[in-house]
Amino acid sequence: MARSSSNISTGEQLISIIDDITLISKEIIENCIAMKHQKLCGGEQIHLTELLVLKDNELKETLKVAAEQAKTNQKMDLLRAEVEKLDQDIQHLQRQLKEAEQILATAIYQAKQKLQSINRANKKPVPSEDLIKFAHRISASNAVCAPLTWQPGDPRRPYPTDLEMRVGFLGRLSHAAGDLPLNGHMLQQTSQLGDLHRSGHLQEPPASQQNQFAWHPSGDLHMAVGQGSVPMDTRNHSKDNEDVELIAKIHFTSDFLRYFCCAARLDRDCEFVSKWIGVATIFYSFISWF
Amino acid sequence: MENSNENQEPPVAETPANITVEDVDIDFLPIIYEIIRSLERETLDSNQKPPPASQDVSQRVVELHKKLELAKDQIKRLPGVEYSKEQQLEKLEGLRKQLRLKRDLLLKYRTMCSFDIPK
Repeated sequence: MARSSSNISTGEQLISIIDDITLISKEIIENCIAMKHQKLCGGEQIHLTELLVLKDNELKETLKVAAEQAKTNQKMDLLRAEVEKLDQDIQHLQRQLKEAEQILATAIYQAKQKLQSINRANKKPVPSEDLIKFAHRISASNAVCAPLTWQPGDPRRPYPTDLEMRVGFLGRLSHAAGDLPLNGHMLQQTSQLGDLHRSGHLQEPPASQQNQFAWHPSGDLHMAVGQGSVPMDTRNHSKDNEDVELIAKIHFTSDFLRYFCCAARLDRDCEFVSKWIGVATIFYSFISWF
Repeated sequence: MENSNENQEPPVAETPANITVEDVDIDFLPIIYEIIRSLERETLDSNQKPPPASQDVSQRVVELHKKLELAKDQIKRLPGVEYSKEQQLEKLEGLRKQLRLKRDLLLKYRTMCSFDIPK
């Protein structure tokens, strides 16, 4: 199937012309060498010669086209280089845009969450005073760590105090059994504690209450009354020896808990300390019960 | 002249260096003329006998053959002859269009100020 000249490349055209020239020149030379009766007639020979000259001219014309195409090829090379450069710029820009899109998408997602929180808060507004009171109540309990200003002798505890424990269920049990009779101040102290909680000033107890109860090195629980200190009767006189032993245990336990309190201040590992305070409290209750 | 047509099928597998049209030697007619003239002279000298191909004529024929082959080889190394003129102009126009589109795309990217918010 013959191809149209527009589909044949210039290079192929040139090679084809050279092939034609080769064939024509071969024919002419063979004609010259051939015997006289085998030679072509004059007209055919002239025709071959004219064809050779025609092909030569065609070759020169096609070479001119080839020269033009070489110039066009230069332009194409420049265009290709420019296209490649633009490609790189576009890719770079696309990468940057993609990164920006990701950052913005994250920011929008977070902002949406914040807006949802704000809307939720707006639907159920909480007065700031209540919030502060609640914060005070949480911080006053010192449930997870000792207060920052805690010193030995400070009655504030990161765990339930003696009185709080005795007011509790285990304390009541022991009180019912008569093992650890509390003096008559217990109910009063309970009501005082209740008042303290209600008043919302638990973070810093009043000065009169701060040192109201303190363990003395002798192992007695003392209650501050006015300027002096009155030892609290925590013993059953009929069982002196057992009580002494019990007080010693309590004292030991109290020291043990104080150690934990100091550790809490140093470490501030809230979860760990609170867990062990819980264990220590149970241990303390166990000791108290006995 | 460097040819850097990486995206196109190379017409010649191994093209050590491109050459220009001026470097192509296409002066075949003088050699053919010389050969015919030598042959005619020998024919006249040999009194109508079939002329034996002399050394000189043989050399000239070999020379012509070499020249033709060399010309073919040089033509294969010419830059930009792997297409016809029309095809090449089409490709040139295609490249110009590609360049224009890429410039527009780049301009669009540079001037855009809004993003599609993923839902």
